[in-house]
Amino acid sequence: MDTTGTIPISNYQLAFTVLLVLITGTISAVLKLGLLRSLIWGTVRTFVQLTLVGYALTYIFNINNIWLIITVITIMCYAASRTAVKRTPNVPNYPYLLAFASLAASTYLVGSIVVGLIISPEPWYSARIVIPIFGMLLGNSMNGIALSLDRLYGEVRARAHEIEAMLSFGATPWEAIRPSVREAIRAGMTPTINSLMVVGLVSLPGMMTGQILGGANPQEAVRYQIVVMLMITSAVAIGCLILVGLSYKNFFNEDGALKTSVIQRDKKN
Amino acid sequence: MLLKLENLTYCLGEDTERLITVSGTVPEGSVLVIRGPSGAGKSTLLRVLARLKPCLNGRVLLKGKEWFDIPAAAWRTTVHYLPQSPVTFDGTAADNLAKPFTTAIMKNKTPDWELVEKLVSELLLPPKILEQEAKTLSGGEAARMAFIRSLLVDPAVLLLDEPTAALDSKARQAFYKVLARWLKAPGRAALLISHNEDYEALENISYLDITTGQGGN
Repeated sequence: MDTTGTIPISNYQLAFTVLLVLITGTISAVLKLGLLRSLIWGTVRTFVQLTLVGYALTYIFNINNIWLIITVITIMCYAASRTAVKRTPNVPNYPYLLAFASLAASTYLVGSIVVGLIISPEPWYSARIVIPIFGMLLGNSMNGIALSLDRLYGEVRARAHEIEAMLSFGATPWEAIRPSVREAIRAGMTPTINSLMVVGLVSLPGMMTGQILGGANPQEAVRYQIVVMLMITSAVAIGCLILVGLSYKNFFNEDGALKTSVIQRDKKN
Repeated sequence: MLLKLENLTYCLGEDTERLITVSGTVPEGSVLVIRGPSGAGKSTLLRVLARLKPCLNGRVLLKGKEWFDIPAAAWRTTVHYLPQSPVTFDGTAADNLAKPFTTAIMKNKTPDWELVEKLVSELLLPPKILEQEAKTLSGGEAARMAFIRSLLVDPAVLLLDEPTAALDSKARQAFYKVLARWLKAPGRAALLISHNEDYEALENISYLDITTGQGGN
């Protein structure tokens, strides 16, 4: 197998992407979609953001300092826990700290196993491996915990009467809320488990595509992809479990009764 | 005195400006009927007594014992709330009757199926109802099954929130007959909200009017 590495794209060649923007812009203008401003702003942001990230990563890879890597990953965890809010329309008083804690715990745990035991680069904290791996973990656990948190609130709201009935039968808060917790964790994990079924059949995953474009042997790329799929699955499972396990108590007051304020979508209604 | 309410103050919903204070006593074998206009806070009072909603002030004594000296789970099976709209879980009606026995505190007990059979016929329910999917029961059937389930919990005080709202007059009479007999055993009492004043079968009735906040013997 010929591994020539990436074919570089020069500035001159990159400039041709303007052609693609022109095509999109023409469609927007002709059909009066009103997307022209967003398209131009989005294009500029794509260039600027990715160029900056490129410089930053080059810098981080070069100095490869473990504390810098930990700082970067922690900032990524923070950004991911903030972004997860947008995917939780059912959740009032979104628990930022709990989301951050569960994302950080699941990402560091699974990421360390993958980097330390499976890939084992030299040195083990090699930024070129650690940052993309942790990034993929975070991106996926973020979606998973957001889905399961949103589902938890939806379930508790829908089952409030069942939960109170269970409390009246002498159930502890955990016993009363367990069916909702189970549904919430299932909801968080289902998309990832489904993706295990169809991977490679419906589409080639982005990471594998990237490696192949980068000149890697497809069989090597497949091995990486298997690791990535399975690590994402366990990170999502751990993240959902921690977050739901930590937040179920928020639904109950100190006497173990269901708080009405938490399950009401909007107090003013 | 089985149950004693001392200056129990609670708010309606989340609205802390509408405070209600009640006092009252419920002796063994008696029924305290809670009266008052719609939205006066009758159901809320029962929920407060079941410790499903916090109160702001005052206290409740069960056989002279301070209510918060009793753990919440034990309290809720002793002073037990039966909500107005019956709660049904997935599964058959029999599964629903066994539901209370899935909690840790009730695990050592089992439902008394002979008693269930007797209650099913006394409450004019079809004998085959136990095999039916609970979610397919009619409103009146579900209400009576929920009542049987609450009797299986074996509380000392039953908090009944319009238990006969979905029943026809024959079923109502059957319901109150069962309740009256249940109250005859020692150490039992009930609090009742009912818009139909058809509880002639009950004895030792006293009233608590929410508008005045005073009542009982």
